[in-house]
Amino acid sequence: MTLGVELLIIIPVAAALLSLAMPSGKTAAVVSVACSAAVILVSLPICIKALGGEATEYGLWYVDRLSAVFILVIGVVGLMSAMYSYGYLSRDVEEKEISSKDERQYHMMFNLFVAAMLSVCIVSSMGILWITIEITTLVSAFLVGFYRRNSALEATWKYLMICSVGITLGLVGITLMYASSSHVLGDDPGALNWPVLYEAAAGLDPTLIKMAFVFVIIGFGTKMGLVPMHTWLPDAHSQSPTPVSAMLSAALLNCALYAILRFQMIADVAVPGFASMLMIGFGMLSLAAAAAFILISKDIKRMLAYSSIEHMGIIAIGFGIGTPLAVFGALFHIIAHSMTKPLVFFSAGNVIQGYGTRDMDEVRGLRKTMPFTAFMLGAGTLAIVGLPPFSVFVGEITILSGAVSAGMYHVAALTVVFIVLVFAGFTRNIFKMMPGDVATGAKVPRGLSRSLPMALLLVITLLLGLFMPEGVSNALWSIADWFSGAV
Amino acid sequence: MDVVISGNLIDLCVVAMLLLSMLAMTTTRIAQLLNAFAVQSLFLAFLAFVVADSTGRSELYVLGAITLAVKVAGIPWAMKNTAVRLHAGREVDSTMGIPGSLLISAALIIVAYLVTEPLMATVDTITRNCLAMSMSVILIGLFMMVTRRKAMTEAVGLLMMENGLFLGIMSISYGMPLVVEIGIFFDVLMVAVIIGIFALRISRAFDTIDTSVLRRLKE
Repeated sequence: MTLGVELLIIIPVAAALLSLAMPSGKTAAVVSVACSAAVILVSLPICIKALGGEATEYGLWYVDRLSAVFILVIGVVGLMSAMYSYGYLSRDVEEKEISSKDERQYHMMFNLFVAAMLSVCIVSSMGILWITIEITTLVSAFLVGFYRRNSALEATWKYLMICSVGITLGLVGITLMYASSSHVLGDDPGALNWPVLYEAAAGLDPTLIKMAFVFVIIGFGTKMGLVPMHTWLPDAHSQSPTPVSAMLSAALLNCALYAILRFQMIADVAVPGFASMLMIGFGMLSLAAAAAFILISKDIKRMLAYSSIEHMGIIAIGFGIGTPLAVFGALFHIIAHSMTKPLVFFSAGNVIQGYGTRDMDEVRGLRKTMPFTAFMLGAGTLAIVGLPPFSVFVGEITILSGAVSAGMYHVAALTVVFIVLVFAGFTRNIFKMMPGDVATGAKVPRGLSRSLPMALLLVITLLLGLFMPEGVSNALWSIADWFSGAV
Repeated sequence: MDVVISGNLIDLCVVAMLLLSMLAMTTTRIAQLLNAFAVQSLFLAFLAFVVADSTGRSELYVLGAITLAVKVAGIPWAMKNTAVRLHAGREVDSTMGIPGSLLISAALIIVAYLVTEPLMATVDTITRNCLAMSMSVILIGLFMMVTRRKAMTEAVGLLMMENGLFLGIMSISYGMPLVVEIGIFFDVLMVAVIIGIFALRISRAFDTIDTSVLRRLKE
């Protein structure tokens, strides 16, 4: 047995300790970037092997095709956010908002957060999966409350309380699932391991599984941001430092989604159709509520937070429909959303630091004041609302055609209506910031650490939208077939 | 141990836990509330020992011992200290009066029985009758979190919910694999610690731990 999967946790934890020991905040930031790059390098062989259909399973660990997608997404989002953190936090230090010690602590928590999120995707036991999800909440609470302002404390308190309750209900679901397996698996110590449960799924008790999935989707759905359990999300996203907002939106929500998907795969075998119904229902509700709130948003980061709820809703609908085409779309949409949303958040972060406000009504003349940021924000907005040729468009259109070919016309129609509403709200709010004269008071943020991740993300989301590498598409199709084969 | 005796002991513990939840709803002082939580955890630990003895599952002894150390001693002690530092010893503010809270708690117990009825039939453990009780403890804990206004009491509500959850785990499956249980336990401990840290920060920032001041973030 060689050291493989463990490295995905060991590297970020070591980097966390190292960044605390660094002499300055900037070197700690470099440690974070190096750590995220190392994580991607280490995960690549594991993920490629897993995507080829060969699962890695030993000890506590289990990595298969589905985990590989999430690990890679977390790796890339982590790297981009680590780069962006460098410039963002040194600006905060310059403005005396935080001290250099705070910056080092930030990077420690940042790396621990990456470790916690990666561990969600590589553990085998559903019980340990629960523990790792709870750890992501606890670690990220410090990042959300990083600025120690009163409003940030309020957001953290809500985040901790709501997610802890949610996750407690999720544990009820896991317990019920464990109980449902007791007459099939007996006292098998591996009875909570996902591969074992999946193997035995057909023999699980349907009543208990139904009840378990209801608790799981409410519990983990809280963390994923499904309406009506989403109330912590806009507060936490708007109050945390911008790179953390990007991580929460593009990586953390995915972790909760990952947990739900694992349960859905089991529930689909035990009680066909039950989980799908709930996924579509919650997804549609999230989409509708998010569209309404985006229309009336004033705070740019709150609007982006609602956009995350919207996309989580769309993804839930895709997995809920459950045909290979829709699942393929949903998987692709996970990647597309996670590559596009940080781009928009980073642009918004530049605007916030430049103008010193999050209120979109107070920002004018963005195009002349910060041409690069304005361009990125404009492109990011068009990408996130799902215009071609960006990747989010491909994800949405695939899910929609999945819905139509499955005969769910009402689902497809409603989804289109809400996406159009989101489009209207987003473009109205964002593009009104563009025209006008140069804002004299603005302190334009500059630096490669900001522009490089933004440029990279734009290229990725554009390339994924224009042409998909055959390897990626084959891998996603194989997951989609596997996932929906259960239905 | 005799099956009848252990059955009676289990019932005793579970009923005591539920009554302590009800008692917690009526307390007006934080110290009392923490005592109620500590005693409830004591019954949970005792229950783990009884179930361990009658089913021969030795890992439940470990679980009971950790419960004693963490939930009966550690958390209440730490929270009392925090409460002293915050000068929060006196009244527990609730948005609802005591009689009203008790009535709603009673209603929640009925709901718990209705919800768990179909489940009872599918489980065949000696502790399955506890299922409704554990659901009641979870719901009452949730209700406490919703109605109380102090950071500290909200946290106790969460911890009581978790007590109910452990009761539930024991009643339908005699406990999960040991690694998982221990992991969950330390997680609960971490939650308590971190909530304590943020309660302190809130009290410094707002000069109160009344969370009704936390109502500013909205559209």
